[in-house]
Amino acid sequence: MTSDSQDIESATTAMSPVITDAPDSKTRRYDRQLRLWAASGQSALESSRILVLSGTATSTSILKNLVLPGIGHFTILDDAKVSNEDAGNNFFLEGPESIGKPRASEAVRLLRELNESVDGAAELSDISSAIAKGASYFADYSLVIAHNIPYSQLNQLSEILWSDVTLPHLIIVRSAGFLAEFSIQFHEHTIIESHPEMPPSLRLDKPFPALLEHARSLDFENMDVTDHGHIPYAVILVRAMDDWKAKNGGKAPTTTAERDAFKKSIYAMKKKSDEENFDEAVTQFRRAFVETKVPMDVADLFQDQGLTSLTPQSSPFFHLLAALREFCSRPPHTLPLSAALPDMKADTKNYVHLQKLYKTQSEKEKDEFKEILAQSGIGVAGVEMGMVDDFVKNCHGLRILRGKRWGALDANPTALASALLSSPREAATHLALSSVSVLLEQTPQKAITTEAVTAHVLNLLPKGTELPSEVEEALGEVHVPSHSHLDESADLTVSVRSPTADLPNTAAFLGGIVAQEAIKMITKQYVPVNGICAIDLIGCTTGIVRV
Amino acid sequence: MDANGVSASNDWQGRYNHIDQILEQPGPRTDESFGAGDTVKDFLRNQCKVLVIGAGGLGCEILANLALTGFKEIHVIDMDTIDISNLNRQFLFRQKDVGKPKATVAAEFIMKRVPGVTVTPYFGKIQDKDEDYYMQFHLVICGLDSVEARRWINATLINMVDSDSPESLKPLIDGGTEGFRGQARVILPTVTACIECTLNMHTKPTAFPICTIANTPRLPEHCIEWASVLEWPRVHGDKKMDNDDPEHIGWLYSTALKRAKEFNIDGVTWSLTQGVVKNIIPAIASTNAVIAAACCNEAFKIATSSAAYLDNYFMYMGNDSIYTLTFQPERREDCPVCGNNSLPIEISKDMTVEQLIETLGERPDVQAKKPSLATATSSIYLQSPKQLEEATRPNLEKKVSDFVEESGQIIVTSVSLPFSLQLIVHFV
Repeated sequence: MTSDSQDIESATTAMSPVITDAPDSKTRRYDRQLRLWAASGQSALESSRILVLSGTATSTSILKNLVLPGIGHFTILDDAKVSNEDAGNNFFLEGPESIGKPRASEAVRLLRELNESVDGAAELSDISSAIAKGASYFADYSLVIAHNIPYSQLNQLSEILWSDVTLPHLIIVRSAGFLAEFSIQFHEHTIIESHPEMPPSLRLDKPFPALLEHARSLDFENMDVTDHGHIPYAVILVRAMDDWKAKNGGKAPTTTAERDAFKKSIYAMKKKSDEENFDEAVTQFRRAFVETKVPMDVADLFQDQGLTSLTPQSSPFFHLLAALREFCSRPPHTLPLSAALPDMKADTKNYVHLQKLYKTQSEKEKDEFKEILAQSGIGVAGVEMGMVDDFVKNCHGLRILRGKRWGALDANPTALASALLSSPREAATHLALSSVSVLLEQTPQKAITTEAVTAHVLNLLPKGTELPSEVEEALGEVHVPSHSHLDESADLTVSVRSPTADLPNTAAFLGGIVAQEAIKMITKQYVPVNGICAIDLIGCTTGIVRV
Repeated sequence: MDANGVSASNDWQGRYNHIDQILEQPGPRTDESFGAGDTVKDFLRNQCKVLVIGAGGLGCEILANLALTGFKEIHVIDMDTIDISNLNRQFLFRQKDVGKPKATVAAEFIMKRVPGVTVTPYFGKIQDKDEDYYMQFHLVICGLDSVEARRWINATLINMVDSDSPESLKPLIDGGTEGFRGQARVILPTVTACIECTLNMHTKPTAFPICTIANTPRLPEHCIEWASVLEWPRVHGDKKMDNDDPEHIGWLYSTALKRAKEFNIDGVTWSLTQGVVKNIIPAIASTNAVIAAACCNEAFKIATSSAAYLDNYFMYMGNDSIYTLTFQPERREDCPVCGNNSLPIEISKDMTVEQLIETLGERPDVQAKKPSLATATSSIYLQSPKQLEEATRPNLEKKVSDFVEESGQIIVTSVSLPFSLQLIVHFV
């Protein structure tokens, strides 16, 4: 206990050695996000370089949410001058004062005000000249984001960036009025820190020797009542199961009747009715016999093509995964034990002791893992030690995403038809945005008729596909192009809505959701979308169309 | 006003071209009542008056979106001042603004950036304003981080509904975020489920039992709570702890660290100390952008009828891929605010008044902090004033059944309840 006579002065003196732990101003600024992706995620963000094609309201909304958390650098590639309507819908332009000035320069200047540590540049040339420069132009960046760029340019751009796995990932964003979609083009994306909801197994059904020994060593019967009420439920379950097995020929309960009897045996261990630790044990009783295996999602990764084609040149992730597969092939056929003990009713002594048992065993298993890695092709030297620790610590949530080239869905009528059946609203949004983008380029000057768009949609689908009402609804929202429709509106008799409308709220929604996915890609934490994310802000729904 | 909805000198030609594409024509899913064209533009740009509650993470986004969408008359209330940790997401604030009121700085920024918009700030509490004040708005949008404030504005707007006057029904749009998750919802007072109907959907902050903190800590959080709840008042007497004072946090941190060492507990850090003491919720620009956009999009649709509005709850989860759910929570018949104003509660005949008070604090659908209890005729237990607290304190040990019969009523009041709750007691 701290002495009772401690006054403010001595307390202040006592704190001087720790004042060095006080956060610096950068840590204070980023505190609320560091709690999500920690220093490792932050440092990945700070070394990222992002290229954004077009300086629309949506583009600047996305950038805002990347500049604020502190990316390293961004470039806006855009040759447009600020128009009257740009000045009305884009927060990163200064209203009428910006009209006529280069849109990219204005946006970069105002975006940079958000965070002094972020570097930004405006490149006032058109997208086709960048595309003409080929892969080398893009190789400098870690990520490219394109909003509403013409269909043919998108096609060329995605082809260039797909041509080599070392080239940046591409996020394609399209929107019109209340409807929007985006997808990320990547070959492969591996994640160590996916931050899964499910905590790692405590492995109570397969207790490691020190845990079993500890559970056996406790004299439940003759223990002081207070101590008895503070045995952690994990220890209670291991002991209860050990006792059960001793009485039942070494077998765990399997039938419902046996399991009920086992549950009752835990109740029977109580000394007092209000022992909450035993209540916890009863609630968690299945953990004592449900077999801990390698989680299915992780076991699936052991079949991944990255392992079947493993070479010394493969990325460290796959060498670590190979070592993990080897580790799991040995008894007790589980992942390495996690040192993270969840909270449970206990007193200090009991809890800290149990924590130590888990920590020691977890270190031991990590050493076994490292030995396996040392004997593998890459050896321990080939992987950073910090990465090995992170990998083992987070191995219950490992993920590998494999992507397709942008446009793969539109080239696959069967897949489109099945998407239309399983998620009609989302597939319809995609078809509408996709078709309008194609047609806008083919007939940029005149209104596109409902018939023309419908025909284009039908062309993408297998012959004879019946269009659900969602398609008609989506087309009705987006189907007429007109940058200059104010001049023509008197003449338009068809249902004109929002083919080119970059609405502030839709732009802001995309700004958030696309920046979030960019952050996941850059930090390699959390799990990004694999497929097309379609957004309908009329019903306020989103959904993923699998590609 | 000319044909293009140009009404004020600040509206340059083509300013609203993007939005006008929506306002000049109905879409296939637009309600028939939509008055496409000048009528709807005039209401949005010249008449509609919106109140934004909160000028923080969501509030900054909401103000910018509303201004760009064409709302010209916006009021904003916030009682906070700007802290350096706001700057990673509250994009209307700069380093030089630290310490200034959020509402004022946000209002000035919006008016400078978006010409012709009037933003009227109020630096203070929502409770400072009365029904006459709230009655002037067409819509209320909340970007709050406190359940208590939500409950207050919810109860206030529901109380204002007068069935003879349709204008008294003010749609309430409420957003909230936590890390990669968030929600946006539209509440039509007395028509759709209200905040109180769905109170159990709000996560309660973790509370640690005082005996664990005092005697048997096992987590670093227990050591930090010990430092702030028990040690601070013991050592510093009446001196108030300031969460934002680094010296104070430093003292708590070193005190917690010492206790943790003594008990062999790992994991006390500066960041955790601050997190526990201030009950910090992770917050990022991107989630706030999504939720604020969803809220403002609803405001735009409600104000213009240009498309159907959200029915009525949008849930967003962005950590593992993107998962959203749009659904309709139902009104609770026994909702103490929008329902029949009494809550049946089943308790044991042996339950003491003290235990009932504890239950009321813990029940997710009540969450009454330090409640006072009374029957229609007499006090059971009153938290204040001091004399009455002392006078009623002996009742804490007594049984609830000593005060009320089966199906009898208990009236509960609490600082966290914006209304008095009537419990109908059933003994089991």
